[in-house]
Amino acid sequence: MKCRLSTLAVAVSACTLLGAVGAVQADYPERAITYIIPFNPGGESDVTARFQEPILEELLGVSVNVTHRPGGGGAVAWSEFQNNAEPDGYEIIGVNIPHIIGQPIQRSDAGFETDNWEIITFFHSTPNALIVPANSPFETLDDLVEYARENPQAVTLGGSGTYSANHLDMLRFEQEADIDLTYIPFTGTGPLPAALEGNHVAGVFNYTMLGVQMDDRVRVLAVASEERVSALPDAPTFSELGYDIVGGAYRGVAAPAGTPPEIVETLAEAFAEANRRITEQQEPLGFVMEYITGEQIDEVISSLSEAYGPILEAAD
Amino acid sequence: MILRLNTDIAAGFVGLAFAALLWLARGDMGRLSIIFPRAILLILTVIAVALIIKGLVRPGDRQVEITGSPRRLFVVAAGFFVWWVAIGQLGFVVSSVVALLLLVWYLARVEGPVSPWRLLRWVPIVLLLVGVFYLTFTQLLNVRLPSGLLI
Amino acid sequence: MEMLLEALASLMTFQSFITVLVGVSAGLLIGSLPGLTATMALAVLLPFTFSMPPLQGLMALGAVYMGSIYGGAFTAILINTPGTPSSIATTFDGYPMARQGRAFEALAGATIASVIGGLVGVAFLLLLAPPLARWAVAFGPAEMFWVAMLGLTLVASLSSGSLLKGLLGGCIGMLLSTVGVSPVGGETRFTFGFPPLQGGIELIVALIGLFVIPELLTMAAEGRGALRPSGEFGKREASIGQVAKRIFRRPGNLIRSCLIGQVIAIIPGAGGNVTSLVAYNEARRFSKDPQSFGKGNIDGVVASESSNNVMVAGSMIPLLTLGIPGAPPDAIILGVLMLHGLRPGIDLFTETGVLTNGFILSMGLAALMLLPVGLLGARLIYRVVIKIPYYFMVPCIAMVTIIGTFALRNSLLDVGIMLILGALGYFLRLIGIHAAPIVLGLILGGIAEQGYVQTMLAAVVDPIPWLRLVRNPLSQVLAGMVLLGAATALLPVWLERSGRLQKATSAEEEKP
Repeated sequence: MKCRLSTLAVAVSACTLLGAVGAVQADYPERAITYIIPFNPGGESDVTARFQEPILEELLGVSVNVTHRPGGGGAVAWSEFQNNAEPDGYEIIGVNIPHIIGQPIQRSDAGFETDNWEIITFFHSTPNALIVPANSPFETLDDLVEYARENPQAVTLGGSGTYSANHLDMLRFEQEADIDLTYIPFTGTGPLPAALEGNHVAGVFNYTMLGVQMDDRVRVLAVASEERVSALPDAPTFSELGYDIVGGAYRGVAAPAGTPPEIVETLAEAFAEANRRITEQQEPLGFVMEYITGEQIDEVISSLSEAYGPILEAAD
Repeated sequence: MILRLNTDIAAGFVGLAFAALLWLARGDMGRLSIIFPRAILLILTVIAVALIIKGLVRPGDRQVEITGSPRRLFVVAAGFFVWWVAIGQLGFVVSSVVALLLLVWYLARVEGPVSPWRLLRWVPIVLLLVGVFYLTFTQLLNVRLPSGLLI
Repeated sequence: MEMLLEALASLMTFQSFITVLVGVSAGLLIGSLPGLTATMALAVLLPFTFSMPPLQGLMALGAVYMGSIYGGAFTAILINTPGTPSSIATTFDGYPMARQGRAFEALAGATIASVIGGLVGVAFLLLLAPPLARWAVAFGPAEMFWVAMLGLTLVASLSSGSLLKGLLGGCIGMLLSTVGVSPVGGETRFTFGFPPLQGGIELIVALIGLFVIPELLTMAAEGRGALRPSGEFGKREASIGQVAKRIFRRPGNLIRSCLIGQVIAIIPGAGGNVTSLVAYNEARRFSKDPQSFGKGNIDGVVASESSNNVMVAGSMIPLLTLGIPGAPPDAIILGVLMLHGLRPGIDLFTETGVLTNGFILSMGLAALMLLPVGLLGARLIYRVVIKIPYYFMVPCIAMVTIIGTFALRNSLLDVGIMLILGALGYFLRLIGIHAAPIVLGLILGGIAEQGYVQTMLAAVVDPIPWLRLVRNPLSQVLAGMVLLGAATALLPVWLERSGRLQKATSAEEEKP
């Protein structure tokens, strides 16, 4: 009963919240919304979507169905979505930076374009972090840079995927610090704890979550965020240490190109509210909650495109 | 039906054809991407050539047997592909009901002619089957089944 | 110990029993549908656990996991379709048994093996988790390369007939695994300019195509079903007691398979499909009657099913102690742990020990529940499958495979790939290239490639890079095992061939 009451209360507040928008587009949404996750079940995108699902259902008053369409690091789902989805707001898809920036540049047949949709919002980001095992000889980032300068290519850094957020920011770090490292891509974040624990690599360039998850078995040398991440208060940022690197993966959702702006706005508000309610669960894991909507989206994409574009084109 | 075919030589040519197909489609890949497939392609070619030589020198099975009726085999295989295309065009439910009825009718004819009355009695069974699967997947498992022009 | 008792007490409630029972049944149902994997079962049922307290939620997921791995055996035995990839090896002997009218015997054997396997895995997890966890991190890229090579020596025993054709199949499988985005390098390969092919050829899609479609086509061509009720052979149906007696009379197979299951479960990235194949291979190698494997030897079913159910709890060892998912479904369990604020590590066994031990024990409960639920389900499904006339059977199985393949990645293209591979598989089988080596290549190709290329990358500063492959003691041991495995696999083939040659010549001489 208690539970019933609180849902009621939430529903009421949701109505007031959405009231303004609802007046413009009174008839949206009136049937189930499909929320496509372009990755395998169990990943960060999926788990976040599972959290958003019940809240979105409450706010929008229709059911929200999370389905998976994995393949090609997201590209299969994205190309299908851009080609086939109807711009009516009943089909939305998870989008990730830098995947949507990198893949079209790097692949001749990615099948989708970076901006051929209406991105509704980016709801959180996971900053990159340079993590070494607790028994590593590198106590600070300076130690690592110094060693790498004397022994080019000898320092091996693992990460998730090729030309992924991890890889791209590691390449930026190489440029900034003027050193030569060896990047070893793994499939996803799953194998990285073992690679660290077993000393198969000197360190990993991965997300802050890994540092949180592995706790005192690792040392986070630096994080690539503007400010220190609340879950890792002792880890310095790259900019504190003199390297201008801010980057990571941004997760968000998109609707097909041509979706009416009122619908996009309705969805953006619902996602923002969902975000506020799951902050307590997600922040301690190392996520950084974001509320990037409207014009800010273009700013984020263009600034990251500028940062990564030259690296990608040089590599091509 | 028994066909005369030197299976060693046939297998060798299948291997060579597959290797050629991939080799021609390799495009311009970076070193890291091509290193493994290239090695396997090489091994595949060697094995295929070895099989052809073995087939000439000391052949294994020199005949293959298709048990039963080859015509039914081809019709059912083709039926599966038509079903697949129809799912994309017409949607899962409609195409599956039609495909199931046609296949059941075609296969049941082995045991003798099928009366229209018997066929009619199968309709509710097929409808129920497709319906149960459709509802289980769409409602319980949250899988959006393909819907083309119809459902 | 106190914690264990407390955990046990928390388990002995009506609510927990119902949770586990429902979890096992749901898992069994989903797992037995080809295309719906254990990972998918967990993902689909995950939202239902959000409203539950942490222990109950974990219990439900553990039970679903256990049930779905077991459920794969049903379709493996009855329609030659591994419901989950971990049941590939179950088809090798389970399906021949079913064709001989011994389907129920095979199902009962699989059930008993799964229960034992599940319990053994729980015991390992409970007693030996911290020491065994150290084993998990020993496997780096070079070691993984050798693990894949070790797996490839299975080709010799899986290629019934010609070894060369088996190797050819293995190579085809490995090449199929390279379609899509390359694991190291990130480029698209062999997509023929067709963007959807970036997703590659999913193992399960190939599995369903290569195993089921040829079987359906054969049934259609022959105009009769493949399964016979036991009565037709003039044999009585074996009872559970008889099957159990047979399995326990010579427990060597069971013990060996459980140990193999546990060892491989800990290696991250190997998973249940490798486990069951290796256990099957060893069961055959150590058997007094290796010729009977592949023709309906219950030991093959027992080896495969016991080892893959050990993996359920066994792969939790690296997960709970180090946060390393030993098999793909574990990634979801990790997600759930993190969401409840439970961080993998030794704290999980001390500070939140009651919860963790409760979770582990509940998996034992789930394993025990496989017995009644499984046997009931097995009898039911068996009755239904036997009664359905073949002309209904073929289209219905086709529908299940189509819908299951689609559901895997919501992809109609996958259905097409499945059908194409299936039709090709029929003709490849005619000329002696069987499905098993192809699937083996597909499973191991990715592991081998990643291990090899990663090792070479890390060795970029070494003067002779490939020496890195045998630099660690463990990789040396594994490399030795590969050589040994290849030798012992080739030797019988060689002996048999020379023997058969003599027989063939003498037979020809006897002819006038």
